Amino acid sequence: MAALSRRHMLSILGASVAAPAIVRAQSSEPLKIGGMLPLSGPASIEGRQIILGLQFAVEEINAKGGVFGRRIELVMEDDESNSTKGVTAVRRLIEREKVPFIVGTYATGVAAAASKVSAEYKIPMLSGGSTGALATDQNTPGDPWFFRSWPDSNAQGEDTAKAIVEKFKKTKVAIIHDNTNYGVTLAEQVTRVVGTAGGSIVSRDSYNAGEQDFSSMLTKLRTQRPEAVYIGGWAGDGANILRQAAEIGLRAQFVGSGSMLSDDFIRLAGPASEGFAVASLYEASTPNPVGKAFGERFRAKHNQDANTFSSLGFDSTTIALEAMRRAGKPDGAEIQKVLKSGMKDFPIVQGPAGTTASFNAKGSVDFPNFIAVIKDGKRRLDI
Amino acid sequence: MDLFLQYLANGVVIGSTYVLVAVGLTLIFGILGVVNFAHGEFYMIGGYAGIFAITVLGLPVLPAVAVVLATAAVVGIAAEAILHKPMKNRDATSSIISSFGLAVALQNATLIVMGPQPQRLNLDVSKIPVLSSLPTDFGPVFLPQQRTLIPLTMVLLIAILYVVLRYTWTGRSLRAMAQHATVARLCGVRVERVAVVTFMVGAALAGIAGMLMSSIFLVYPIVGNMIALKAFTVVILGGMGNVAGAAAAGLLLGITESLTSGYIANSMRDIVGFVFVILVLLFRPQGLFGKAVDRS
Repeated sequence: MAALSRRHMLSILGASVAAPAIVRAQSSEPLKIGGMLPLSGPASIEGRQIILGLQFAVEEINAKGGVFGRRIELVMEDDESNSTKGVTAVRRLIEREKVPFIVGTYATGVAAAASKVSAEYKIPMLSGGSTGALATDQNTPGDPWFFRSWPDSNAQGEDTAKAIVEKFKKTKVAIIHDNTNYGVTLAEQVTRVVGTAGGSIVSRDSYNAGEQDFSSMLTKLRTQRPEAVYIGGWAGDGANILRQAAEIGLRAQFVGSGSMLSDDFIRLAGPASEGFAVASLYEASTPNPVGKAFGERFRAKHNQDANTFSSLGFDSTTIALEAMRRAGKPDGAEIQKVLKSGMKDFPIVQGPAGTTASFNAKGSVDFPNFIAVIKDGKRRLDI
Repeated sequence: MDLFLQYLANGVVIGSTYVLVAVGLTLIFGILGVVNFAHGEFYMIGGYAGIFAITVLGLPVLPAVAVVLATAAVVGIAAEAILHKPMKNRDATSSIISSFGLAVALQNATLIVMGPQPQRLNLDVSKIPVLSSLPTDFGPVFLPQQRTLIPLTMVLLIAILYVVLRYTWTGRSLRAMAQHATVARLCGVRVERVAVVTFMVGAALAGIAGMLMSSIFLVYPIVGNMIALKAFTVVILGGMGNVAGAAAAGLLLGITESLTSGYIANSMRDIVGFVFVILVLLFRPQGLFGKAVDRS
């Protein structure tokens, strides 16, 4: 024993520590996948809804025996809706956890910054809620690394504007929007489409996100007698505008941007939210049979209805897991190849019946948005 | 003309909150020389305290006001202990920076306790005796009772403050401190007590404003940021430390914003106040209502 040097001892010790890990990696150690969402900070309400969809997808696949006979383990990172934190989170997921793909994130700006990094590592990202067109427009057409399993903000603006003119038959439209990228982009798209669909814009006003008093703006708006009012902005401001409009007796069809989908919005706006219309990707009463079945399973587990947020989280996760299964190995570049063209037959829970994960050249899926209308404090599709 | 009157009324309502927040701010500056950037958070805490008292505890309005005042008193005592007591003999920048720190700490504490989602106070006006009998239409002007309550409360509180400052021993010692701290101390004014009272009054005025506003607007952890900036605008326009000036400038700013929003563009309303402030600082640094005094 005395002949053993210090160096020998260390190498023996090292090998005995490393060996079990090598053996385990070859057998059935859990297969890690990455998730990234704002779990704290300003968008945490949405983040905490979306993560339910991710977890639900992972639980369901594990109940069926996982992928490649291995259990799936979801590794979550919190980006706090902050680009710097998002980029760090992506690096950590890829370098330390060695995930083959990442589902995330909610804020478009963060998704755009983080997906640039993941593309360098050849790891695909699937959106966890970012609807802004920017995130997929920065993809190289034909070779996307950022995938969104629903239409972008331009399509949402277009569907909403068409609903105002064609579904609600309102032609005199007023537009109110906040001064963020999200609000301005949507307002411009709605303005353009309302014009081409035969309506006219009677006024356009903007406000700073977080502003509280809209009474004078709405008083002025009332004198222009709009038939419909489109609001592009965050949910809190939208709820404030609705309540103050009801107070001063501004009667019109109010239509809002996708951010105003949550039940919190209805709670904040109160009775003023009756009749309010909003573009939606999923409601529990969806006509899509795949979506309806998902809604029933989700309700049985969580005792709450699935919504746009949980359904998109579920879709992004199941699409990526299925693409990995079809690729035959947990390898980012192979998964991206399958996502690009090999998923056109895979049904998803969002959108109308028959919607599949058929990504276009920019990495987005095209289907018409639902227009949900609030009646008796609930969003409904059948009105 | 009808529209003009409605804009004017909207301006008075929003201006009244500026007055309540700014008067406290200008008192704290005028008497103690503390530039308090955490003042917007006093407003925010008042809003949450009001929601807690009415929605969670189920109290009627007047006891709820008492809860808000008690909370504001605690906040005022704590803020004085942090921002004034340990810093009063140091450079003014120390308290400015620590008030920034206090603002951030309070915002994040609220974020953890209350969460990021906005909250609203459901104030049922029909249960409040005098208020429910008020009309909502004043000729061409329409004002819901929750809104009418705000200027009424503002006038009442400012009147009480005026009487206290003018005719009570506490008020006299506050004014003595504002004129000259050392001489006030020599004349027997208990300087430490005056400092605490000043902070408590400031926090109470802002807290009541926050409570009233949460019945027509929303409360969330960073709501104090903008209101603090507006209050600073009002304080500069009215003359630093000038209570009557702050009251007049607060109403003026509210009305200007409302008219800007009505006749120019809503996106311009927040800019107008700050343009005013820059002009005032350039051409009339003592404020619109201040007197220029040479130091002896």
